[in-house]
Amino acid sequence: MKTKLSLLSAAILTASLTMMPAISQAAIPMAVGGQSVPSLAPMLERTTPAVVAVAVSGTHVSKKKIPDAFRYFFGPNAPQEQVQERPFRGLGSGVIIDAKKGYIVTNNHVIDGADEILIGLHDGREVEAKLIGTDSESDIALLQIKAKNLVAVKRADSDELRVGDFAVAIGNPFGLGQTVTSGIVSAMGRSGLGIEMLENFIQTDAAINSGNSGGALVNLNGDLIGINTAIVAPGGGNVGIGFAIPANMVNNLVDQIIEHGEVRRGVLGVSGRDLTSELAQGFGLDTQHGGFVDQVMTDSAADKAGIKAGDIITSVNGRKIKSFQELRAKVATMGAGAEVEFGLIRDGDEKNVTAILGEASKTTEAAAGAVHPMLAGATLGNSDDGVEITDIAQNSPAAASGLQKGDVIVGVNRSSIDDLKSLKATLKDQQGTVALKIKREKSNLYLVLR
Amino acid sequence: MALKDTLLYVGKAVIFGLIMAAVFLFVTPLLTNKDASNLFIQKRGDNGFELSFSKAVRRAAPAVVNIYSLSVNRNQPLNTGSLQGLGSGVIMSNEGYILTNYHVIKNADEIVVALQDGRKFTSEVVGSDSITDLAVLKIEGGNLPIVPINLDVPALVGDVVLAIGNPYNLGQTITQGIISATGRNGLSSGYLDFLQTDAAINAGNSGGALIDTSGQLIGINTAAFQVGEEGGGHGINFAIPIKLAHSIMGKLIKDGRVIRGALGITGEPISSVMAQILNLPDLTGVMITGVDPQGPAAQAQLAPRDVITKYEGEVVPGVEMLMDRIAETTPGKQITMTIIRKGKYYEVPVTIGENLSADEQ
Repeated sequence: MKTKLSLLSAAILTASLTMMPAISQAAIPMAVGGQSVPSLAPMLERTTPAVVAVAVSGTHVSKKKIPDAFRYFFGPNAPQEQVQERPFRGLGSGVIIDAKKGYIVTNNHVIDGADEILIGLHDGREVEAKLIGTDSESDIALLQIKAKNLVAVKRADSDELRVGDFAVAIGNPFGLGQTVTSGIVSAMGRSGLGIEMLENFIQTDAAINSGNSGGALVNLNGDLIGINTAIVAPGGGNVGIGFAIPANMVNNLVDQIIEHGEVRRGVLGVSGRDLTSELAQGFGLDTQHGGFVDQVMTDSAADKAGIKAGDIITSVNGRKIKSFQELRAKVATMGAGAEVEFGLIRDGDEKNVTAILGEASKTTEAAAGAVHPMLAGATLGNSDDGVEITDIAQNSPAAASGLQKGDVIVGVNRSSIDDLKSLKATLKDQQGTVALKIKREKSNLYLVLR
Repeated sequence: MALKDTLLYVGKAVIFGLIMAAVFLFVTPLLTNKDASNLFIQKRGDNGFELSFSKAVRRAAPAVVNIYSLSVNRNQPLNTGSLQGLGSGVIMSNEGYILTNYHVIKNADEIVVALQDGRKFTSEVVGSDSITDLAVLKIEGGNLPIVPINLDVPALVGDVVLAIGNPYNLGQTITQGIISATGRNGLSSGYLDFLQTDAAINAGNSGGALIDTSGQLIGINTAAFQVGEEGGGHGINFAIPIKLAHSIMGKLIKDGRVIRGALGITGEPISSVMAQILNLPDLTGVMITGVDPQGPAAQAQLAPRDVITKYEGEVVPGVEMLMDRIAETTPGKQITMTIIRKGKYYEVPVTIGENLSADEQ
């Protein structure tokens, strides 16, 4: 009986072991579906139908002042400006994130200024899309199409990504048709590139080229981790340095656009800078990454939450941040009213505070650039007698125009300005040179924006 | 009763077999995981296994530093210096020795080394070698991250590799590719001996690490030899193999420079035509084509068309081996070579000189 027993055991052991290859194959995606050759094909079969081509057409209107020399020939009634209308066509990519409702995410710069947006689906259908909302500062736009049998991509938690994870870019480079390229996550939380106003990019070496913009960056499961947006291209083409907007940031923005038709930027009410090794040394800190708070605006969300000047913000909702810019990008895209937990270091002690983000008073920081291009980089806020520059970024167009922190804009050309709304309305109709009447300390002065 | 017994035995056997199988299944992955190539496959969450290089990155990346070389304008002594070169480097030891490219720190008045944890150091050049484009720097700091290294595992064509560096000063960047070609590791080695990879390497990656999927250093990246003006993007990039880099580093730390022996000849492999003309037994050896009149070979009466067949008693199969042996010989040492001249064998003593070409560049 003993021999029988061991024989039987051996037989079952063998049977179990022969099942092993099947088990390990199922575990490692290198051999999905019983294929022995490593291939992304099974994942891509599911994912690629969710990535679409975005074709836009519109008209660029550019106004040029006619030089006096020419006006001489046409007499005093000659027009002052020459209006040039140039039709344009553009190509990009987009990602279906909701199959039922037909929501498609793409880059703002893909559809910017378009009169007509046409979506080319993976199965060959062409459908006209409606623009639901857009955010130029983070470069995200949401479109909607009416079509059946759409396939949407699942969204991954992009905060879970680690440098070294595989990344696959799907898009429509150079209008060639759908193209898949692979690489890895090269870096996280990349900011300070000057590509967008709000930057918190995933960097990848998957080949991204012109036309990939708005396309998907997915992980090995085929879940969306980012929207491909930009590259560093010294020679014009891909050199293995591409940038994608993380899926979590996209989620926040898309939720706001769906709810409000626009992005309601969250405001924390702090100004600050990156924590440098010098600052860290001066404060006797172990950590070298975070945002150093210079100033907290009175009655702001930060003020109410108990954040103080001199604090170092090290995490947002439990996720470590690297730089002040990353903090800024995260907070700004979270949406007004969002409850956010910040990790702080104060006097060497770690603590957590929860803030409810305030709403940007319609025109703020980033949007200042939309009010007038030469105001970009300024943070505007309503004050008693006009619009105050509450903060100004160094080397920004606003700083180059001569604006200083604390200046109050009280007039534009000959009209007086009471608040942000009137400033926006007045500047909207202005063409060419604008003279701003400024109250600086106790004197008045004019600054000319060109 | 018989049925019950049978069931009992069968049941015991089944349970025992399953336990054994479970133990085996549990142990096998642990065993295979010792194989370095499998280290990048790791468990993550409840989704089972996922492919990622993050473990290798975490092991090696902290030891890869950003290097800024500054040039100080002597006419303006108060000027803090302008950025003249950008590159990367790899911390090799606790003592703070850093390997980088020579061209990264060439002509620098001041070198700043920035670690990934934010620490910054001003660094000294321990030594440099223009032939291999390598330099060794030293920083004084505690608790330095060191790159794992294994000199015994050669990089093979097709191996998956990761490049770590600071391209365009964007901040630390990891790119992935494979080894496209390999070269030799001898001391006379010049540019032909690089590892070739399709992992993206750009300006600023120079001097950074090329690692394998277990995080071990296999080469020092150099972006110096790119095709075209714009650089990068062609998938053809080069790295100095770690075995060569490591031996150069040892010499630079010891002597401050790489001392290479010189014979003062030019030579070429034996072609079958030449073998017939010179009446040689086979194609082994190196035929001298030129002799430096001031060099050691000229003093030893060597002349063109002499064929060197042995160096210190060791058979010379070809040019590369001979170049390596000469370079490795300490200048001033007398060695014996076997040559064939007009069909006859001679033993020739030669005093090896020093190759100074590295210092001239």
